[in-house]
Amino acid sequence: MGKRKIWQDVSISIFAFLLVCSLVFFTGTLAQAGPKVVKIGNIIPLSGPSASVGVQGKNVREMAVEEINNAGGIKSLGGAKLKMIYVDSKSDPTVGVTAAERLINTNKVHILTGCWNSAVTYPTTQVAERYGIPFIVPVSVRDTITERGFKYTFRVAAKDSWWTRDQILFLRDMEKEFNVKVKTLALVYENGDWGTGFAAGWKKLAKKYGYQVVLDEPYPSTASDLAPVVMKMKKANADVIMLVSNAADAILLTNTMVEFKVNAKAIIASGGGHADPKFLENCKKNADYIFDEVEWETDVGKPGAKETNEKFNKRYGYNLTGESVDAYASMYVIADALERAGSLDPKKLRDAFAATKLDSGPAMIISYDSIEFDKDGQNKNAGIVIVQIRELNGKMDRISVWPKGARRAGYTPVFPMPAR
Amino acid sequence: MDLILQATVNGILMGSIYGLTALGLTLIFGVIKVINFAHGSLLMVGMYTAYWLILLTGINPYLALIIVVPLLFFFGYYMQEIVIKPVFKAERDVREPITVIIVTTGVWYVLDNLSLILFGAEYRVVKTGLSGKTFLLGELIVSAPKFYGFVATIVTAVLLYLFLKKTRMGKAIIATSFDRDAASLMGINQYRIYNIAFGIGTATAGVAGCVLIPFYYVFPTVGVIFDIRCFIIVVLGGLGSIHGAVLGGIIIGVIESVFAQFMASTWTEGIIYAIFILILFIKPSGLFGARQDW
Amino acid sequence: MKIGLNRKTTNYLLLFLAIIFVFIIPLFLKSPTYLQIMILLFFYAYLTTSWNLVGGFAGVLPLGHSAFVGIGAYTSTILYLHYGLSPWIGMFAGGLLAALVGVIIGKPTFQMRGAYFALTTIAIGEGIRVMVENINKIGPFTVNGPRGLLIPLKGTSFVNFQFLSKIPYYYIILTMLIIVLGITYIISRRRIGYYLAGGGEEPEAAQALGVNVAKYKLIAMAISCFLTAMAGTFYAQLMLYFYPKGILGLDLSFEIAFIALIGGRGTIAGPILGALVLRPVNEFSRIYLSGFLPGLHLVIFGLILIIVMIYQPRGIQEPLSKVYNLFVDKLEACLISRGRKKDEIS
Repeated sequence: MGKRKIWQDVSISIFAFLLVCSLVFFTGTLAQAGPKVVKIGNIIPLSGPSASVGVQGKNVREMAVEEINNAGGIKSLGGAKLKMIYVDSKSDPTVGVTAAERLINTNKVHILTGCWNSAVTYPTTQVAERYGIPFIVPVSVRDTITERGFKYTFRVAAKDSWWTRDQILFLRDMEKEFNVKVKTLALVYENGDWGTGFAAGWKKLAKKYGYQVVLDEPYPSTASDLAPVVMKMKKANADVIMLVSNAADAILLTNTMVEFKVNAKAIIASGGGHADPKFLENCKKNADYIFDEVEWETDVGKPGAKETNEKFNKRYGYNLTGESVDAYASMYVIADALERAGSLDPKKLRDAFAATKLDSGPAMIISYDSIEFDKDGQNKNAGIVIVQIRELNGKMDRISVWPKGARRAGYTPVFPMPAR
Repeated sequence: MDLILQATVNGILMGSIYGLTALGLTLIFGVIKVINFAHGSLLMVGMYTAYWLILLTGINPYLALIIVVPLLFFFGYYMQEIVIKPVFKAERDVREPITVIIVTTGVWYVLDNLSLILFGAEYRVVKTGLSGKTFLLGELIVSAPKFYGFVATIVTAVLLYLFLKKTRMGKAIIATSFDRDAASLMGINQYRIYNIAFGIGTATAGVAGCVLIPFYYVFPTVGVIFDIRCFIIVVLGGLGSIHGAVLGGIIIGVIESVFAQFMASTWTEGIIYAIFILILFIKPSGLFGARQDW
Repeated sequence: MKIGLNRKTTNYLLLFLAIIFVFIIPLFLKSPTYLQIMILLFFYAYLTTSWNLVGGFAGVLPLGHSAFVGIGAYTSTILYLHYGLSPWIGMFAGGLLAALVGVIIGKPTFQMRGAYFALTTIAIGEGIRVMVENINKIGPFTVNGPRGLLIPLKGTSFVNFQFLSKIPYYYIILTMLIIVLGITYIISRRRIGYYLAGGGEEPEAAQALGVNVAKYKLIAMAISCFLTAMAGTFYAQLMLYFYPKGILGLDLSFEIAFIALIGGRGTIAGPILGALVLRPVNEFSRIYLSGFLPGLHLVIFGLILIIVMIYQPRGIQEPLSKVYNLFVDKLEACLISRGRKKDEIS
């Protein structure tokens, strides 16, 4: 009897408490007091399978914003500072969509960035389009993100069809340079948005250039055992293996491939998991000779690149990657557009973004020379670089090898790779 | 043909490890009649414990068993005592005792997300003396950590079997699983038995954790992947059957490995679910289980 | 003046007032974010009430119901993308398909009891998800596998079931919720309701009395799946995007079931109460806490599950309805005494 009464009281109190909370939050609005501030909402994966790269994205944004704010903020807005709001997308598109709605309507952000995973970026940018808020996409590669005729989406990264195109062009160049003929391809990729997008691109290009696809193997990124996949790779015995992986499966796959002595003339990866610092840390020599495709590498011959990388490494303990450089550059694209717009009006901002021609400043550590958006919001100059992972002086290093102009001085790529 | 053989060997090894993860579940399911949805999370706890031990002390993963197993035993013992026992008592007058399912799901959410908060979302791998080692069996490449896992499974299963059949405590557990009221008439404290059974079940998850760490990675939701497989194996092998769990695991492992040679590995997941559904309809007591009045 | 109050009248009066209140909320709550939270609240209340027809009244524990949400969303969206068919019609098509699938699944599955039934529904739900994730095209229809389907932005258009403002969505889901509650009420009052309740508690006794328990369970299943699928279409049109893991996953299935269970399955108010309490907890802890403590809202959710199941396995509607009755008693006493005072004076 006594226990029932206590429970009753407890439940009444909890109910009342929740009611009060709801009322408070319902009627409250988040008032922003103080000097003029540019609010930027950032929807990135801070938990889940892409957490590791999401956190890198947050760190590099922080670094860039600090630099911009310390240099006086946005002068045409009276020295307004950039204020960043981060929301964890959990790599879940629904969370991304709801987060965007909230950031726009409640936090009243002026600009949005995100979301790393193409699957999240794709619908989330539509929310921004709905409300007319500029959305900068630093990293997501899915072609269709900038193929919908949207006016408010601006992407800094290259499209995934450019990525796959360049991987195959690289391959053909290697064939010519080393006089090696490649006939068959094995495609092994994570079965999410990203992997399946690349696979579609590869298959088209293979047809175009006459390569035969002997293995088409999507695998779940969270598989508990990748040995069956590796066995299929061994059986297929393709000349070249193309990979798309997230961090954990990249490690598992690489180690298992070495265990089973899978051989090929070349292994070409697509960034993401393979570019993650954890990959080299955990695979070490097993990753020797693998080619990886990224938008940027630490040995790119651009002024300031080395210094910026060192600054970042000192603060966070690991190097910049292509994706982080994209995010870094994106913050400067935003600062530049704000500067030119001189206003926080969304339409004026959007026009400022569309007219971007950024070719100077700290953002120029990128591997190409200027950021300009075409009429669909796509950065038309975005380029990629192919690196080879080699053990040099006892350490694993990533060495730029392609395009020829970006190749690190004094290095000749190894193609084909030696047998295991 | 020789690739099929390789795939089969890999399947047997990996499958035995699946069986090891399912051993605890089948014991708990068979004795306490509890569907423990938190089993995957317990495995995750075992893996993290092994991970931190190995990372901080560099100890051999199989030596780590000495610490991990008792730790997990007590974890399970008290989980049963604090969380599940009250539900049993409260459930006397409620239709369909499925409340335990919900409670264990609650435990699952809590454990997985606590470890997310404590350890972060990243995937962690630790290199041990075993990682990446292989040896040759004729023409076949055998992964060393998986092989040791296979051995560990057999040893654990045999020990468990002997414990249940030969020791007093073991016999008490079996008696309680058949008829708990009769057992308590015999002077057996049924709740204490449940605690011990749960503890043992969780301890085997600890063994599985130590076995998996040398070649797999750990992250907060790693339990979810194994959880569903465990249920499928337990049903396939038969509730409460130790050899059923091991054999069921091997069957699943071989199917996964061999079928993947003929279709995309993303479809093998579907095949396993299909088999699960078939078993549930055709022979729910599994291959080796006793008839249940579910 | 005497006010003739009895419990029934008071209940109806309060219910009426509550409905009026809920209908006029958009007049003073303008923020789209909070409207969205209300919309999602009604959405989950709708889903759990539909689930309740099987999970509460029929007495089994279906843990794969998200499959039907998915069927609804995919059906109406594919028909819209491919044929330009208005999602309103697609909604009903999806509902019918889901009802059919539900009956096909239900027939063999209902013979199982308790835990095995739950496991089977999980396996079927996950099986469907894996299938959809692996399929790119079914014949001429694009399913798009794991990438999901995006509905192109068309601005405000009733025919296309798209609105730029949140308000139309609010009223649509509110109306759907009230209809579903009405259906539940009607079923509970009629024979089928009693048959289901009996079949759930004492199936052998019910059958001994000549009740075709199986048939009524299937009817409940069909209705439940039909209604659930319609929510899937609503969701697709609200978000304009969905993908297999989000709409066909275990997470959604579990959330629906557990909200109903915590609220109190088998009752009408239970699912609503569950949604009312748990959804805000979910949303607000995610908004305010996930920034620095990701996953905390799930820890809270898990703890609530455990605590409620240990102390109130019938759900929180039990203690809450006691609170409600206390409140109504006080209210009546107040009004009656005031009426009496007036009598005394005059």
